[in-house]
Amino acid sequence: MITLKIAVRNIFRHRTRTIITLSTIVFGCVALIFAGGFFEDIFDQMRESYIQAHTGHIQIFHKGFSEKGVIEPYKYLIKNPDEVSDIVRTLKGVKFVTPRLTFSGLLSTGENTISFMGMGVDPAFEKAYPLKSNDLRQTTKSLTLGGVLVVSGKNLDPKDEFEVMLGKGLAASMGSRVGDGLVLLTNTTSGSVNALDVSVKGIFYTSSKAFDDIFIRLPIKTAQKLLYTDSVQSVVVMLDKTKHTAEVKRELENIFRAKKMDLEVKAWNEISDFYSKTVVLFNRLFLIIKIVIIVVVILSIFNTMNMAVLERVSEIGTIMAMGAKRKNVLKLFMYEGIALGVIGGAIGVVLGALVTYCISVIGIPMPPPPGATMSFLSTPKVVPSMLLFSFVLSVVTALISSLYPAYTASRLEIAEALRHK
Amino acid sequence: MKIVTLQQIQKNYLLGKTIINALKGINLEVEKGEFLALAGPSGSGKTTVLNVLGCIDKPTSGKVFIDGQEIGGLSSDALAQIRADKIGFVFQNFNLLPVLTALENVEYPLLNKSNAGGNKRDLAMSALESVGLGKFAQHRPLELSGGQQQRVAVARAIVGAPLMVIADEPTANLDHNTGLEILHLMKKINQEHKTTFIFSTHDQKIMDMADRVVRIWDGEIAP
Repeated sequence: MITLKIAVRNIFRHRTRTIITLSTIVFGCVALIFAGGFFEDIFDQMRESYIQAHTGHIQIFHKGFSEKGVIEPYKYLIKNPDEVSDIVRTLKGVKFVTPRLTFSGLLSTGENTISFMGMGVDPAFEKAYPLKSNDLRQTTKSLTLGGVLVVSGKNLDPKDEFEVMLGKGLAASMGSRVGDGLVLLTNTTSGSVNALDVSVKGIFYTSSKAFDDIFIRLPIKTAQKLLYTDSVQSVVVMLDKTKHTAEVKRELENIFRAKKMDLEVKAWNEISDFYSKTVVLFNRLFLIIKIVIIVVVILSIFNTMNMAVLERVSEIGTIMAMGAKRKNVLKLFMYEGIALGVIGGAIGVVLGALVTYCISVIGIPMPPPPGATMSFLSTPKVVPSMLLFSFVLSVVTALISSLYPAYTASRLEIAEALRHK
Repeated sequence: MKIVTLQQIQKNYLLGKTIINALKGINLEVEKGEFLALAGPSGSGKTTVLNVLGCIDKPTSGKVFIDGQEIGGLSSDALAQIRADKIGFVFQNFNLLPVLTALENVEYPLLNKSNAGGNKRDLAMSALESVGLGKFAQHRPLELSGGQQQRVAVARAIVGAPLMVIADEPTANLDHNTGLEILHLMKKINQEHKTTFIFSTHDQKIMDMADRVVRIWDGEIAP
């Protein structure tokens, strides 16, 4: 008790030095909390926009599609999409279910012909938000909510039959604008050739340039007509919350197995590893930032504690003469270090949360991420686990950095320490 | 009754590559209740003798008996416990802990004592009152004069009713009159409580107040 009292009072003996040490810890915490929140926000945005625009939370395919579907796509179609959709709709947490049919073909303006990929979607479900290019915050929000932005023209409507939307890159390379007429040419599921006159209703953007450069979106009914089929390639499941993905996936697998339906269920992160790989990359970067911060904090506290020991040699001699054991001296300096960590960590956590929140209100304009062409607004999140991590880290680093100085202090020879001026 | 015995104490220091023989076979016995002065010039070995008596330095050879117990083979923790239980210290530079109040400074040694006997805070307060500083209990050392600080140090040394108080040149950093006051205070405690005081000095007036003066010269007791 008295040891703790002495330790805490000693901290405030050299105010300037303590403030500098505390500032280092506080700065470290703020940096960690902000960086953690920044990365978390980027992960969230990337994941949500990818799920919304491309993968959905879960996709259901005909069994074998993920292995052999690339070579023989039409061999692995789902012939009873409505039955599948009805089953999925009964599950908790499912927002909507919508079929998709993807195919490839040639797209011609009359002058130019180019190969393309088509994605038949149900316009009633697959919403796209209009792009407001002067409003970065709205753009960012729309991307995480809907994934698809309408750059010009309009989104598809359930009543549309011969209207399509072109990806931004595809429209640019075709030189096509809204209202232009195009011819789609493709093989039907049985192998014959079919063509369709369509008009460009809108031009879309997703956060994947690779997608926007080759894809068109068209009503799934039109796609089915073009391919001479009633089947679909996949049934996309959108959930209320991304975190329920694994649970819903498991339930679906159980249901399909019980009903002996030849279907396979894939979660968004199995369909595309882009997100997982980016997370691994960013986390590695974050680890380096963490290490740098930890080293700076350790050195700072170590320096302070070392100075404290050197200045107080005679005091250490005195308390040992008064009967304090070596372990009490060790404790005294450890407590001092830990107290620095606790005070610095507490201020750091509060300030870190505050700074991160304020920055997120303003937002940081970011350049287009890899594989995208549009800027976005980063709004760093205050992540509770990061607050806890920063605090624990402050205390633990403080403890580690005071170990050696405390040990040195406890090993002093009393007679020599007392002679020390 | 003998409370301390030193037998053939030698103490060697290594200074660079030379061995310094600080003590060359000291024999000394201290009786309970003595007011004993160790006299000698600087560097004669007074402080080293006090350090050995106070269990804060171990002799190179020879035996030390404190209260009948030979302390030769004891661990540093066991020695710390002997200091806490049986020995009070007064230093030349007062050595109060600057972050503690006068009262807390006096109380401090009791916290290490195996059996303080009574409320520690009350014992500390009465020790502080006995040196006339009851009013200054909540003052920090830097708010006190040198003489007051040394009085607090004396209170701290006697608070646990130790077997002996070791005072290394307790008046060296005080003006003459204040030094004498401290000496009178120590003498008074010595007479009232039969507390043994062993102190070093080279001030003739202080030596005059001692029951016995042991002169140390070049690491040996002068005949």
